[in-house]
Amino acid sequence: MASLIGKTNRRKWLQILGGSAAAIAFQRVFGGSGLAAQEPSAPKPIPDFTGPGPNPYWNSPGQWVTYPQKSPLILLTDRPVQLETPRRAFLSAFTPNEAFFVRWHLPLIPNTVDLKTWRLHVEGNVERPIELSFPDLMTRFKAVSLASVNQCSGNSRSLFQPRVAGGQWGSGAMGNALWTGVRLREILDGAGVKAGSLQVQFEGLEKGMGPRGYGSNRFLKSLDLNNPVLDECIVAYSMNHEPLPLLNGFPVRLVVPGFFATYWTKGLTSIRVLDQTDDNFWMKAAYRIPDTPRNSTTPEEMKSGKVPTIPIARMPVRSFLISPDGSSKVPAGFPLRLQGVAFSGYGGIRKVEVSADGGVSWRDAQLGEDFGPYSFRMWSADWTPPRAGKYTVAVRATDAKGNVQPDAGVWNPGGYEWNKIERQEIVVGDAS
Amino acid sequence: MRRFKWPGITILSLFLLAAIALRADFRAGYYAPTEPGAMRQALPDVFSTDANYSAGQFPLLEPALATGDGKETLEADCSLCHTPRFVTMQPPLPAETWAAEVEKMRKVMGASIPDDDAKKIVEYLSAHYTPETRKR
Ligand code: HEC
Repeated sequence: MASLIGKTNRRKWLQILGGSAAAIAFQRVFGGSGLAAQEPSAPKPIPDFTGPGPNPYWNSPGQWVTYPQKSPLILLTDRPVQLETPRRAFLSAFTPNEAFFVRWHLPLIPNTVDLKTWRLHVEGNVERPIELSFPDLMTRFKAVSLASVNQCSGNSRSLFQPRVAGGQWGSGAMGNALWTGVRLREILDGAGVKAGSLQVQFEGLEKGMGPRGYGSNRFLKSLDLNNPVLDECIVAYSMNHEPLPLLNGFPVRLVVPGFFATYWTKGLTSIRVLDQTDDNFWMKAAYRIPDTPRNSTTPEEMKSGKVPTIPIARMPVRSFLISPDGSSKVPAGFPLRLQGVAFSGYGGIRKVEVSADGGVSWRDAQLGEDFGPYSFRMWSADWTPPRAGKYTVAVRATDAKGNVQPDAGVWNPGGYEWNKIERQEIVVGDAS
Repeated sequence: MRRFKWPGITILSLFLLAAIALRADFRAGYYAPTEPGAMRQALPDVFSTDANYSAGQFPLLEPALATGDGKETLEADCSLCHTPRFVTMQPPLPAETWAAEVEKMRKVMGASIPDDDAKKIVEYLSAHYTPETRKR
């Protein structure tokens, strides 16, 4: 090249370059060439709401917001605070605390907690009511750790058809953390549960503005004392080796492995042993599911008033494709890695399968490290889309009990327990 | 020699530009002032060493309720226990579902809302938040 310049008259080169090459450069770099057909446009914001059809996005359509101790999350509501975790945060088995979803029911939630005065009360139908301070929990009991998924009962509610009222979550109302704390059983044994007790009720720092005796005043959740899950429950003071963010329940929250998050009381202050069944709003009216196959029913059956309901409990098996997420076009022949998470409230993931043809043919994905039966299990599968076109990737998991994710949705009035096989369109373009 | 120095550099850079442009068919340089996408980072907290653990204030955002008759009634009666964003967050719902929601807030949640107000609120919700009527 340099020799070419050397051989040619400099002035002539100046003319050539200035006259044509620079023009080409300008055209090519700053527009006007063959690409003109696809003028880049400004990103358009997602509309404020979705429906009446199902939410077409993976997350809910809310705005990005920054909250104390949090990375930008997706806003559902600001009072009480409800924030959704963006899809990308699930590219690891443990969800970072700062990205962990937030869901409170009542508006008066702690901005500040004073550990000098905060106490965990064990009370009600017990031999010896006790009060535990934060240091008591850290030093007087054996510390146990457990990886466990925390998922809102209404995760993916926005996929219901017909749509139901409630928090319009996309699929980011979930997270996995390593919880460290004290066994609930040890605490209960310390207080001595009296004979004839039926349930144990949990209450936290959250308070409401509604009148006394209403669900809008207090948030109370209870579990049967003979429920085997009680042996696995932890009163957790540590989340992924860090203090819990205030929005996730600092100083301690209840961990109920395999169960939906409604029982995982945040900012726990009271463990109350009951000698009768809890009939407060949050047990008797809310968070109930039809006692039917897959806890599913129809609006018509519901209207008949004959559908028996039970309190929600364990989480059915689910799996998610996290990457690729469809936000980029992929060149044909590109070696992609499909990856995501799977979990089940029925103890562990046995198998994850992926499909690149929308669920017609399936092949096994590779499972990542096993962090225990209640943790996210990462999965991955390599896939090279052969040619340009639109592909539908689907993923389905099978849990340790042999439950396979179904290819049909559920419907119930609360919008709970969605676990249909997920699909993601991937657009593949020509590579040359 | 000296008088050739600048033209030389010009030639070289133009040549490079041309070479880049000819080798890769790409486009660059599209910028436009737009609203979405910008968000301030929060300043890191300054902590004391006492036993108080604080998250500071939680932001309150104005929900964009549709303008129309009944908006103020809804704002007055439906803001005690939660933000009216509980309304705008919902998908478009049939008028009868809205009527049932308002009844639920009164009977089950204990909202003290006079009959007149309740009627007005249901009318407002039906006029702006059903599949047929919802605009934004
Ligand atoms: C006395 C307190 C109170 C008042 C006043 C109140 N609500 Fe509610 N509302 C609640 C509670 C508590 C919830 C459930 C919150 C949760 O689950 O996060 C709720 C939930 C909702 C929901 C979500 C769907 C559902 O049923 O859970 C909608 C929609 C709603 N309210 C609308 C309204 C409207 C409209 C008004 C005014 C007519 C109103 N609310 C007034 C307490 C109240």
